[in-house]
Amino acid sequence: MGRVAGKKLFSIMALAAMIGLLLLPIAVSLPSLAIGADAPDAVKKEGEVKYEKGRDVYYKTEGLAIGAPAPKTVDGPKDYPRYNFESRVLLWFANQQHLYYGSFVLAVPIFCMVIEFMGVVTKDKAMAKKYDQLAYDFIKISLTAYSLTAILGGILIFTFLTLYPAFFGYLSSIFRPVMHIYALMFVAESGTLYIYYYGWDKMKEGLLKYIHLSMSVVLNVIGTLLMFLANSWIGFMMSPAGVDEQGRFLGNIWHVIHTALWNPLNVHRILGNMAFGGGVVAAYAAYKFLASKTDEDRAHYDWMGYIAMALGVAFLIPLPFAGYWLMREVYAYRQQMGITLMGGLLAWLFIIQATMIGILFLSTNYYLWQALGRMRGAEKYQRYIKYLVFILCCGYLVFITPHTIVMTPAELKAMGGQQHPVLGNYGVMSAKNGGINVIITTTILSFVWYMRGNKVSTVSWSKFGNIFMGVFFACAYVNIIWLAIYGYYIPANVRVGLSVPQVATTLSCLFFMFPLNAAMMKGAKQMGAIEWGKISVRSQYALIMLATAFTWMMGLMGYIRSSVRLFWHVNEIMRDNSPWAYTHTVGFAANMISFNVLFFWVSILFVFWLGSLGMKKAPVEAKAGVPGGAPQPAGGH
Amino acid sequence: MGSAIIYGAISLVICVAYFLAVDHFLMDSQGLDFWYLFRK
Repeated sequence: MGRVAGKKLFSIMALAAMIGLLLLPIAVSLPSLAIGADAPDAVKKEGEVKYEKGRDVYYKTEGLAIGAPAPKTVDGPKDYPRYNFESRVLLWFANQQHLYYGSFVLAVPIFCMVIEFMGVVTKDKAMAKKYDQLAYDFIKISLTAYSLTAILGGILIFTFLTLYPAFFGYLSSIFRPVMHIYALMFVAESGTLYIYYYGWDKMKEGLLKYIHLSMSVVLNVIGTLLMFLANSWIGFMMSPAGVDEQGRFLGNIWHVIHTALWNPLNVHRILGNMAFGGGVVAAYAAYKFLASKTDEDRAHYDWMGYIAMALGVAFLIPLPFAGYWLMREVYAYRQQMGITLMGGLLAWLFIIQATMIGILFLSTNYYLWQALGRMRGAEKYQRYIKYLVFILCCGYLVFITPHTIVMTPAELKAMGGQQHPVLGNYGVMSAKNGGINVIITTTILSFVWYMRGNKVSTVSWSKFGNIFMGVFFACAYVNIIWLAIYGYYIPANVRVGLSVPQVATTLSCLFFMFPLNAAMMKGAKQMGAIEWGKISVRSQYALIMLATAFTWMMGLMGYIRSSVRLFWHVNEIMRDNSPWAYTHTVGFAANMISFNVLFFWVSILFVFWLGSLGMKKAPVEAKAGVPGGAPQPAGGH
Repeated sequence: MGSAIIYGAISLVICVAYFLAVDHFLMDSQGLDFWYLFRK
C-alpha cells in the first residue's frame, strides 16, 4: 500500500515538475518581455541615452529604436571568416542535419502519445500490451536520436558563430529573450523526455499510466513550442517585423516573433515533421521486416510499418494544403517573393517538388494495394486497381508538367515558342490543382478500400451506403476536374478562388467517407483475418521509398524557402555580402540535397542499430489459428 | 436492380447538390462569383 502510494506521489510530483519546467521559461522570460515596455521609462529616468523613433516595417507601428541597426557587412575575414571552402555549404549541411533530427525527435513523441493512448483505451489486453510496447520502442529510438539532435544543434551554433558572426550577432541581439527561452525549453524537453522514458515500466498500470500519458502530452507541448520558437527566427529572416527599416529592434518582442509567415510556417512544419517522422519509422520497420528471420518478427514489423505509414500519411494528406496556405501568405507578403518561388528563379525546383509529392502519394497507394494482399476477401478490389493507377498517372503527369522548359534556340524554334502547343496547357495552376486533388482523392479511396478489404458490411442500409460512397467519389472527381477545366475560361482573379472548393471537395471525401465507411463496417462480417507479415517484400521497399522521398523533399523545400531571400540575410533589412550570395544551379542544389539525405540515412541507421542493442523483444501474443502469429489491431486496422 | 437505380439517383441528387453548394458558397465567401461564366 505504502509502496503504491509512494509511487503515485512520486509520479504526481514528476508530472508537476514537468509542468513547472514547461512554465519556467515563461516565468523567467517575463522581465525580458517587459524590456520593451519599460524602455521609454528607462530613458526618462536615466535621461542619458536618447532613442530615436522608428516605424515597424511590417506592423507600421511606431516605437523607440532600442536595438542596434543591422550591420552592413563587407566581404572579408571580419564579417565572413572562412575556410578554403564555401561557408554557406557548411552551414547548409549543419542546418539540414539538425533539422532532420529535430523533426524526427519532435514527431516520434507525438506518435508515442497517440499509440500509448490507443493502448490505454483498447479493451483487448493483448493489443493494449502490443501498442504499449510499440510506443516504448518508438521512444527508445527517439531517445538516441535526441542526443544526436542536441549535438548537431551545437555544431550548427558553432558554425554560425565562426562563419557568420555578424549575422548571428544581429539575430541573437534581436531574439535574445527568445533564445534564452528556447534554451530553457530544451532543458525542460530533456528532463521530461528522460522522466517519461525511464518511468515507463514503473508507471504502467492504473492511475500511474494516466499520469505517464499526461507526461507525453506535456513533452509534446514543450516540443511543439520549441519548434514554434525556432520557426520565429526563419520567419523573421524571410518576412521581418518588429524592426524599423534599418533593422533596429523597436521593443516589441511579440512583433518580432509573430511575423507574416510565422503561423503558416508553424502549421506546415508540424504537419511535415509528422509525415517525415512516420516515414522514417515506417522505413525502420521495413528494414527490420526485411531482416527478420521469424514469422513472428515479420508480423510485428509489418504491423509497425503499417501504423507508422498510416500516421505519416494522415499528416501528409493535409500537407499540400498547408503548403498552399504558406505560398499564399508569401504572395500576400511580397508578391515578388512568390513569383521568384513559383514563376521565376526557383520555379524548376517546384517542378522537382511536384515530382517528389507525386512519388510520395504513388508509393503510399502502392503500399496499400500490396497490403490488400495480406487480407482474405480483398481480392475483389484487385481488378479495380488498374483504374486507380490510370487516374493517379493522369493526375501525376498533369501535376509535374512544367509551364515552360529550358531549351536551346533550335528547340525553341522547332516547338514554336516557350510553351509546348499541347502539353503547355497543363503547366498552369488550374490544371495542377486538379492534378494533385485527384491524386489525394485517389489515395483516400485506396485507404477506404484497404479498411474494408476483408469485411462485408452487415448494416441494413449497406447497399445504399455502398452506392452512395461510389457516387460521392465519382462526383468528387467530376467536381475537381470540372473546376480545373473551368479555370481556363474565367479571369485570373476569379480562377484563383477555385482552389478552395477543390480542396474542400478532397477534404469532404476524407471527412465524410472515412466515418461513413467506419459506420458501415461496424459489426461487419470478416472474410478472414489480416495476416500480418504476409505481405510482399515489394511493399516494404515502397515504405523505404516513401521515407527517402520525404527526406529528399524536406531538403529541397528547406533550400527553396531559404533561397527565396536571394542576397539577403534578413529580407530587405540585412544584406548578404559574402561571396556566396547567389543562387546555386539546380544541379548543385540537387547534389547537395542528395548528400544531406544520404548522410542522414547512414547516421540514422547507426542510431537504429544503437537503439536495437538493448531493445526488449516485442510481446507478440499470437491468436490461435491466425497465420503470421500477431494479433490484429482493434477493428482490424 | 430497381432499388440500385433508385439509390443511385438519390445519391446523385444529394452529391451534385452538395458539391454545387460547396463550389458556390466557398467562392462566395471569398467575394467571388462561381457562376461568372454563365452570367456573362
